[in-house]
Amino acid sequence: MVTVMFSSWQHGIIQPHLAMHVPDGFLSLPVLLVTWIIAVGLIAISLKRAQAEYKERAVPLMGVCAAFIFAAQMVNFPIPGGTSGHLLGGTLAASLLGPWAGSLVMTSVFIVQGAVFQDGGLTALGANIFNMGLIGTFGGYYLYRTIRFAIGRDSLNGMVIGIAVAAWTSVVVAAIVCAFELALSGTVPLPVALVAMASWHVLIGIGEALISVVVVSFIWRSRPDLFYDPPRRKAPLSASRF
Amino acid sequence: MLLHVGAFHLDIDSKQTTPWHQLAPRTRILCTVLFVFAIVLTPNGHWWTWAIYGLATMSLLWLAQVTLSVLLKRLAVEFTFIGVVLLGTLFRGGGKLLWAWGPLQITTVGLTILGSVTLKALLSLLVFNILTLTTAVPALLHALIELRVPPLLVAILTSMYRYIGVLNAEFNAMRRAAVCRNLMSSKRWQRLVIGNMFGSLFIRTYGRGERVYQAMLSRGYQGLPQVEKVSPGKRGDIVALTLTVILALLGQLIYWPR
Repeated sequence: MVTVMFSSWQHGIIQPHLAMHVPDGFLSLPVLLVTWIIAVGLIAISLKRAQAEYKERAVPLMGVCAAFIFAAQMVNFPIPGGTSGHLLGGTLAASLLGPWAGSLVMTSVFIVQGAVFQDGGLTALGANIFNMGLIGTFGGYYLYRTIRFAIGRDSLNGMVIGIAVAAWTSVVVAAIVCAFELALSGTVPLPVALVAMASWHVLIGIGEALISVVVVSFIWRSRPDLFYDPPRRKAPLSASRF
Repeated sequence: MLLHVGAFHLDIDSKQTTPWHQLAPRTRILCTVLFVFAIVLTPNGHWWTWAIYGLATMSLLWLAQVTLSVLLKRLAVEFTFIGVVLLGTLFRGGGKLLWAWGPLQITTVGLTILGSVTLKALLSLLVFNILTLTTAVPALLHALIELRVPPLLVAILTSMYRYIGVLNAEFNAMRRAAVCRNLMSSKRWQRLVIGNMFGSLFIRTYGRGERVYQAMLSRGYQGLPQVEKVSPGKRGDIVALTLTVILALLGQLIYWPR
């Protein structure tokens, strides 16, 4: 049973698409220090906020949602342009669970990924949480929310455009920040890092946006109440007849 | 902790009885973290430091009886990132010029960085994987609580670990159903179907979370359980920690006068 599961996971492991999780040894002390401080602060606040918001439900709910993101990240799907990619899920998680619980879920995912797939190092965990948790999830959420509410909270169009733009932007911006961190550490010259990271993640971002849009529209059609900002219900038609 | 439903089987070497396995899991975590930070924070070009650390890692490998073939397989993952650094080396100036072709050049500075980063990444991966291969996941999670990691975070990690296997199996069942109905034929369809499956899996997941919560309530769940008493460290644990600190400092002291 276990071996079967592992062989089906193996497709996702040996592929260059995970290039945003920084391993150990690539970042210098100042970069590590700053990103760790910010990451620890983010974790502390989001733990507090998630507990206040979800009360005792926090543990089972966050746990299964983190497992969901983890399982979804292992699925590869084709991206237009010939390659394949997988979901990062930060913006998606935040649109469903809110920014605090979303970044908490993503943090759990990064910790387990580091331990299971060597996907991101132990010392670089702070940087990875900063790049993809804070910028990808938190930044992604507020971008999505701004766009969606500007177009109209209750329209599917606003939802789709908001999530598409935010998902693409969060991936690309996180990659650019990652490139800056590598350059600041003196590991890779900035132009090379920028070109390598940005060009690849522009494509990855398209995949992320497409799949997020499909997921979000599916949930919109079947259980719109599960969104963190659910669309307001229109007055039921039957009630106006009386 | 009841973690009998294991999602993945990482700890293939956790059943041995070597001196390394005798240490409390929290000591193993502390030693690993200390050592990895020492490796990573060594300035570029300090080859002798890494020689010492490498020697220590090799002895730990031997001591802990880790299965080498599995360990080597897990090292192969990092090559993409090393590739980016390799690319960076070609465009970097500074130091003595060794080779040039148009805008491409290899300099001593570039080579030093390439070698240092590769060594650091390799060594820290080795050390970290020794930990995960020799320590069972429940033991690791329990040790995290002992190390004062916020209990809420550990509880979330625990329940996540418990459900990864379940959700993975559920998704595979959905995918199998879609493949049987020939829905994965074109790439556009593949994306649509996978996206819809994610959506439907999330709805089920949320429902599952609620059900799990209800079940926990029915068993008298009242928020996070009290942290159990931390067992006092044995002498071996203290010795191991001291040795790690001495080793880390020893490696750095070689370059001290400069």
